[in-house]
This record gives sequence, structure tokens and C-alpha cells, in this order.
Amino acid sequence: MRIFTFEKAGKPCIGLLRTPEAQEYIDLEIAGYKHCHDMVALLGQADWKDSLDAILKKEPSNAIKQMTGVKFLPLVQNPGKIICVGLNYADHAKEGGHATPEHPSFFLRVNSSQVAHQQPMRVPKASAKLDYEAELAVVIGSKARHLTLDNALESVAGYSCYNDGSVRDYQRKGTQWTLGKNFDETGGFGPWLVTKDELPPGGDGLRIQARLNGQVLQDGNTSNFLFDVKTVLKIVSECMTLEPGDVIITGTPAGVGYARTPPIFMKAGDVCEIEIEKIGVLLNTMTNE
Amino acid sequence: MRLLRFKTPDGHPALGARIGDEVINLTELGCPGTLDELLRHGAAGMASAEAAIKKATKRIPLSSVQLMPPLHHPHKAFAIGLNYVDHAHEGNFTPPTQPVLFHRFPTSWVAHGVAIERPKVSPEFDYEGEIVAIIGKPGKYITKEKALDHVAGYSIFNDGSIRDYQFKSSQWMWGKNFDRSGGFGPEFVTADEVPAGMVGMNIETRLNGQVMQKANTKDMIFDVATLVVACSEGMDLHPGDMIITGTPSGVGFARKPPVFMKAGDVCEVVVEGLGTLSNPIIDEA
Repeated sequence: MRIFTFEKAGKPCIGLLRTPEAQEYIDLEIAGYKHCHDMVALLGQADWKDSLDAILKKEPSNAIKQMTGVKFLPLVQNPGKIICVGLNYADHAKEGGHATPEHPSFFLRVNSSQVAHQQPMRVPKASAKLDYEAELAVVIGSKARHLTLDNALESVAGYSCYNDGSVRDYQRKGTQWTLGKNFDETGGFGPWLVTKDELPPGGDGLRIQARLNGQVLQDGNTSNFLFDVKTVLKIVSECMTLEPGDVIITGTPAGVGYARTPPIFMKAGDVCEIEIEKIGVLLNTMTNE
Repeated sequence: MRLLRFKTPDGHPALGARIGDEVINLTELGCPGTLDELLRHGAAGMASAEAAIKKATKRIPLSSVQLMPPLHHPHKAFAIGLNYVDHAHEGNFTPPTQPVLFHRFPTSWVAHGVAIERPKVSPEFDYEGEIVAIIGKPGKYITKEKALDHVAGYSIFNDGSIRDYQFKSSQWMWGKNFDRSGGFGPEFVTADEVPAGMVGMNIETRLNGQVMQKANTKDMIFDVATLVVACSEGMDLHPGDMIITGTPSGVGFARKPPVFMKAGDVCEVVVEGLGTLSNPIIDEA
């Protein structure tokens, strides 16, 4: 099952893809589903998946719409937490001059740094060093603390794509990366959530790519995570209670722009695509702030 | 004004103004239910609160209400690392030449008087007394000259830190975001009640009455105005966003021997002009 957030008459609404090919969707508001305006609220319903399955089966003809022209919103607009894992692929740690880490490093993004599929990502006024990072996003489906490796994946609702857009000079101004990771509208998120039953456990073994203007710049596989999804969930939940709608962004493979010779940064007009096997393509065009 | 968010004796959240030992329920008088919303109304919001205080005829004892964190749902809560030279040195860091930013989630703090939690997974639970600047006027690429116009007021923060987790990697976020590990409050003090930028105010952290940190905000490496500038580069600051401005020396992990907080302890952060933030410590259930 694939669900997404879109704008409808100026308000957020949740859509349910009718087929994986993404030509038609079911408007959950028209289909009469109560928790249809906010992904956090929807994922907070214990029976959301059963309810949506029933709606899919029913094929309510008045609620079936064409995907053409849909204006996407960030998949989860107001998650309680967006937690990012740094240096989670050995090749990316190496290209940035970091040792292979013994522990994952975590930073976070604020909601205002997010941007939806097909919406413009902003090249900031303050810097010309906006870089892409293709990442697998994990969306939490149930409240959890102190998960174990055995039960960690039970807390997952599904997966999506993230472009952890990074303003490199600001990221490295101090020891903490927060500033460079939180410029307004620099992080692409979407297009949709693919429920975990459609993917390998932990999103393992999925090819992940970043393309800039069609050129493949990152080409990795989630099987090369240093800390796999269940390990990350176990560790994060030692510290924090995970809640439905929380987002965990799992790190990027090698090939980022700043580590290239010569470096590549994104500029207005560029099109960046993040593709993850079995999930889809997140596309954003760069515009100047 | 000194504004606080509280639960009324019958359990309803409301925005209040404190006058001495008493509280005026501003929400009952037509003001918004949260400081967040009041701040979004800008100068008009503040004027409505002042007008409500003037016309109020009823006050309830402060001791009868349960305080909540001053802000309900801040979208950004930036915290500044190493903002006092002596604190940078005690942790063996070079004092920074640019503000160092990390971030806390609202799930990581509790109100004044509410217990903060030492987690199951670590005994290294440390205090950090700090002042927090709260944004009132939106802005991006704010200049230093105008920066303080964007600050609506101040409060106190205990940036509770789980030290072993904080230093497991280069990124501190992990040790700074344990559930209910920080304190925020007791109240929001409007900027007109304190010196511009909170400059020259004494700040003290006490653990079970013993003074552990003692400093003056004039010793901050980056003053409040500079922090507002840094946090608004590339990010629109919104009413209700928080900047937690960093802690002076005297933290527990840098002491010999180290001092960490444990169940039964009481930690107080006392800031001149802002009051006292007090939190007992309990073990995570």
C-alpha cells in the first residue's frame, strides 16, 4: 500500500494510490475516512491499515482521482521528530575523511526544512554549497521505547525517500552539523509511504540512487548500512519514545557533491532525483531562495 | 509581564500572568490558550494580555496551579554549545569562533517542578543551567542591529545531558534528547522586564542546594543578538522558536570526581531577573 499527503483546497489531505504505477489515487476524504488530513493522526490509528485496505477493496468510484496535477506536500508534514543518521555507509564516511564509526551519529532536522516531492528545493542566499544526499526514510507507526533487535521493526509503518539536502559550508562551521542541515525547504521527502509489508524487512537490499540532471551521482544499496534499520531503532529508542509519524532518515551512500573533484553543488534549474528500488522516485527542482 | 502556562485546578490548560504569588487566568479573559499563539499575534497579542491583566478581577494562588512548559509546541528549539569560554575549556574544547548549534525536541523537557528522568541506560545525567531567548517577531537574515527586536522574552532551561551518549559520536544530539531529561520554565518574562539581551545577569545552578555553576551572562562568547543572527541565516525564525543559549563552567562531568544527578536530587537553575527553575530527579520508570 502507498499513501501520500497532498494539498486539497489549501488543506492537507491523504491519498491512497490505487495501483503501484501511480496513475490513480483514492481521495480519503471523499472515501469518508475520518483521519484523512494529517499523516501523524492517521498513523496513530491502530487499525489504519485495515481501514485503508477496506477502502481499496471497495473502490469508491467518486473518490478515485487521476494523479496528474496532484500537488504533493511533505509525506509527514509535522512529525514530532525527524532524526537523521550520519555516516551510515562506510564508503560515505571515508569520502568525507571520517573513520568508520563505532557508533551511529545522530542529528535532526526541523519541519521547516522539509519540502514535498515535485516542489522546489531552495538554494539559499547565504551559500552556494547546497548538496544532495539520497536516503531511505523510515516512518514510525507505533509508540515505542527500549526496542530490541527482535521487535524493532514492529514499530515501523513503512518507508519513503529523503533528500537530506545539506548546506556544506554551514554544516562544517562548527562541530555540530545542525545548522547546515536545517535551511528552509532544503530537504525533499516523499513521494509516498510504502507500507513495510511490500518491502524486505528493514528496507534491506534496496538499490538507492541520486541523480542530478539525469546523471547518476550516488548509487548504493541499503544492504551496506553500517547500522541497519533495526539497530538504529533499538539505539534511538534507548533515548527517546518513538511516536507514530516520527521519521528516521538513515544516512547516505558515497558520491555526494562536496567530496567530488571538482565538487558539484546544486544550482537553480537543476533537477535532483532520489530513487529507491521498490519505493519510487523523489524529484525536486532547485530554485534560488 | 510574567506569563506562564498552567493547568487550572480542574485540569484545563490555560495561559496566565503571574503577579506575586497569584495568577490571573488570561485565557478565561479572552486571550489565547498558549503563549505560542499569543506570540503569533505579535504586539497586538501582548497588548491584549496587558489589557486583560488590567481588567482582571479574579486571581488564583500560584500554589494551586500545575505549571506546564511555557511554550506548547515550539517548531525550533536550537541549543548553543560551548558559549562560555571556561565551559569550553573544562570539556577540553577550543572556544568556537562561530556559534555551535544543536537542537532539542519538545519531548526532551518538562515544566518547572516536574521531575526530570535519569535514564535506564546511563548514570551520566548532568545539569546545564542556561537562559533561553524566545522569538516574538518572525524574520530571516536578521541583522545584529535589529536582532533583539525579534526576541519577545526569556526563560530558564536546564539542558540536561546524558554525557556518555552525547560523546559517543561527534554529534551531541543523541545525549541531549532523552525523554524528559531537561527542564524549561518556570515562566516567560517579557524582554522589557530585563536588560537588553539579558546582558550582565547572574546565573547559578544548584544541586541539592550546593552551587555547581556560577557565572554572568556578560561572559557569553556569542551574545543573544549574535545568536539570533546565526539562527536566522537560511532559516525563517517564527514566533515561539527558542534559542537555548549555552551553559557556563561547573558541569558535573568535568568535575573531579565527576558529579551526576540521581534519583532524589533536586536541581535548581537561578537566573537574575528570570527566577528559579527547579526540578527533582527520578529514575526512568
